[in-house]
Amino acid sequence: MDIMLKEVGIDGLYVTASGRLDLDNAVVYGAKIKDFIEDSPEQITNVTLDFSEITFISSFGLKVILELYKQLNGQKGVLKLKNVSEQLKNSFVIVGFDKFLLFE
Amino acid sequence: MFKTVKSKILIIAIIMLTVLMFAFGCYTVYSRMKTKQLMVQNYGFSMNEYTERLDDEIIYAENNLNGLALIGNVFYRTDRSIELTNRIITRIFEDYPKNLGGGIWFLPYKIDKSKKYVCFYAYRNKDNKIIIDEKFSSEEYDYPNQEWYKSIISQITPERNIVWTRPYYENLGSYSTMVTAGTGIYVDGELIGIATVDWKIDPVIEELSKIKPMEKTFSMYKRGNEIKNSFALFANEDEDYIIATNDPYLDGEKLIGHSLKEIPWYTSFDKLYSTTYIKYHGQKYVPFARRINNGMILIICIPQKEMFKYVNEFYLLMIIVMLLLGLIIPTLLYLSMNRYIINPIDKLTEIANKISKGEDIQIKLEKPEEFAQLASTYDKMTNHIKAITKEKAKMSSELSIANIIQSSSLPSVFPPYPEKKEFDIFASMEPAKEVGGDFYDFYFVDENKLMFLVADVSGKGIPAALFMMTVKTLISYISQMEHAPKKLIETINRKVCENNRNSFFVTMLSGIIDITTGEMSIINCGHNLPLIKRKDGNYEYLKLKSNIALGVFEDADFEIYETVMKPGDIIFTYTDGITEATKEDDEEFGAERLLNTLNSIEETEIITIAQKMKNSIKEYTQSAPQSDDITMLIFKYNGISEIKTFKQAAIQENYKMFYSWLYDACKEWNLEQDLTYKLDMCAEEIFANIVFYAYPEKNGNIEAKLEKTYNSIIFKFEDDGIEYNPLEKPDPDVTAPPEEREIGGLGIFMIKKMADKISYKRENHKNILTLTFKI
Repeated sequence: MDIMLKEVGIDGLYVTASGRLDLDNAVVYGAKIKDFIEDSPEQITNVTLDFSEITFISSFGLKVILELYKQLNGQKGVLKLKNVSEQLKNSFVIVGFDKFLLFE
Repeated sequence: MFKTVKSKILIIAIIMLTVLMFAFGCYTVYSRMKTKQLMVQNYGFSMNEYTERLDDEIIYAENNLNGLALIGNVFYRTDRSIELTNRIITRIFEDYPKNLGGGIWFLPYKIDKSKKYVCFYAYRNKDNKIIIDEKFSSEEYDYPNQEWYKSIISQITPERNIVWTRPYYENLGSYSTMVTAGTGIYVDGELIGIATVDWKIDPVIEELSKIKPMEKTFSMYKRGNEIKNSFALFANEDEDYIIATNDPYLDGEKLIGHSLKEIPWYTSFDKLYSTTYIKYHGQKYVPFARRINNGMILIICIPQKEMFKYVNEFYLLMIIVMLLLGLIIPTLLYLSMNRYIINPIDKLTEIANKISKGEDIQIKLEKPEEFAQLASTYDKMTNHIKAITKEKAKMSSELSIANIIQSSSLPSVFPPYPEKKEFDIFASMEPAKEVGGDFYDFYFVDENKLMFLVADVSGKGIPAALFMMTVKTLISYISQMEHAPKKLIETINRKVCENNRNSFFVTMLSGIIDITTGEMSIINCGHNLPLIKRKDGNYEYLKLKSNIALGVFEDADFEIYETVMKPGDIIFTYTDGITEATKEDDEEFGAERLLNTLNSIEETEIITIAQKMKNSIKEYTQSAPQSDDITMLIFKYNGISEIKTFKQAAIQENYKMFYSWLYDACKEWNLEQDLTYKLDMCAEEIFANIVFYAYPEKNGNIEAKLEKTYNSIIFKFEDDGIEYNPLEKPDPDVTAPPEEREIGGLGIFMIKKMADKISYKRENHKNILTLTFKI
């Protein structure tokens, strides 16, 4: 899985990834974002996840996103999901994440 | 009310008695009438006798009178000796001892020109002595001016020589009511005087009143032979005067000589003579009217009540006796009937009831003899029944064994071929009696060809069942040898004919299907048309040409119908027990109702279809007893299913391999992308579950099977790890705010949402989770 993290402005992070957010990849995906935020000299509060290349998300992926949301929410930050396909969005809807996540 | 023997016999007895009593009553009335007539007649005879006596007295008096007249004549013609004449008169009176008095009276101056009154009069005094009374030939009495004298003189003629005077009260000597008879004394045709005889009326009347019936006519009247309160009338109708009467409502003395009109009840002699009774002062009197020789009439009125007193009493007694008998006889009849008929019947009934309840009782009844015989017959019958019951029980147990044998001869385990996913088959038979003539069967005739059939043997009960077993065995035996449907059915028919000595015949519907291709041959041997449902369509009757039933003609020709079953198609076969199932009003379930019922069933599970069908029939027939075997066989073609299997060690490293296997399968089967995604999602969750939790202490495998049927994908996971049923895990709260969200539990929840059906079982130490997805 390819993951690209890009700083946007002072406090923003834009994550692009391609492939499956599954058992194998989700943890890696989450860890990379977490590390980036921790390593950044600036306080990162706005994270945007680009899903245009993500083909699959399982409960493992959902868990990672929930954890990220909780972390940012604690810092009054914002988590945005971008270009989520209908098929993937359905997974968010099933577990009720669409009620608090921001989709663009 | 009148249904019992008791009441019927009682009614017959009462009717008979009523008829008898009526007859007897009629006889009584008739005989009473006759008796009364006889009595009246008898009184009449008494009257006649009395009248004759009166007549005799009158003749006696008249003879006496003639004697006196002759003396007068002699006196006139001879020397006119007074002394001699007195003596002769005395002698005549002696000759007529009944005469009270009488005399000879000459016309004035007839004997002597100087002597106006010449008469002789004699009477009988109280001492029965004859006294010559001379005081009548005096100026004082002046007999020619007396009424009686004038009356006689004026009436007598030479032709009518005896005249009776009106009655008069004589106050000179006898002081009684008298009637005087007078006759003229003629000398040479010249009237010279009259002779008279007195007749005292009182004794006549007195005697008349004491009239009684002749003795010895009816012995019962002897008791009181005098009739009370009767009265008499003595009169002269021609001259219209009353001589005497002792009518209790009139003053008899005053009425003497008066007109008969003064008697209220008197009409005329002739009328009274023919009248049966007159009503007088509220009482009925029977009049007896008689004429006496000298023109007088005599009427005696006897009170009817008195007259018929004894007759009426006698008949009243008779009626009372009859009524008593009328009460006593039915009572006796009722009591004796109760004792000799009803009680034994009741006893027998009671015993029969006890016997019918299964009590073992010996009947003991010694009398009356007929019932004793009946009781012993009862006893014999009871023993016979016991024997029959025993026999029956034995037969019934044999029948139920036959039933078990028969049922066990039909395949009854469903699904019969669990490993064959290409089709589902379900059949059931509910016999009407203990053993039926219906049967069904199915088996593989070769590796891919399944034969199924439903059949109905004509007739019912044991013989039909035995024949059915033969046919069933024959068919299964022959079908193993001969696979070409036409030849197969012809062989079966021939063999059935050969084995058919009792002219049974069998209707059958059979199908032979190649389960790999769905090609099916259907043979209809005089059976009900099957119904077919194409996938996504409705049930329709399959319009097959009907062949002749099996066992009729040995050389019969059979036409085979060919069709192709597509995955999802259902064929419904049955026997006429369904279409001919009847309700209480005899209306049949019918072919149309069968079609409609099947089309109303939405489920495609064939066991459910069968169950719903049975319920519909039961609901339709309700309490009416099942008249025929109800048999159905449902076949559903699923088509060939394909299976992909994955079996590897349960480690995360194998995940990639796992999902590529899944993707390859989905691609090969051209599954839709959406379905592929769902399968992917579920696969990952379950894979992870097994990898992380199934084997905490050892290494193990994960086995996944992906099966494609005509309408679904079945995804099955097996592991031999610790027992774990993921379906028992509670669902996470998907409405909770993110802060409260748990990390775990989401995976299973998502699977539940995505799969159309999910089931878990633990079998052979394995967790088996099966997900089904509709295509």
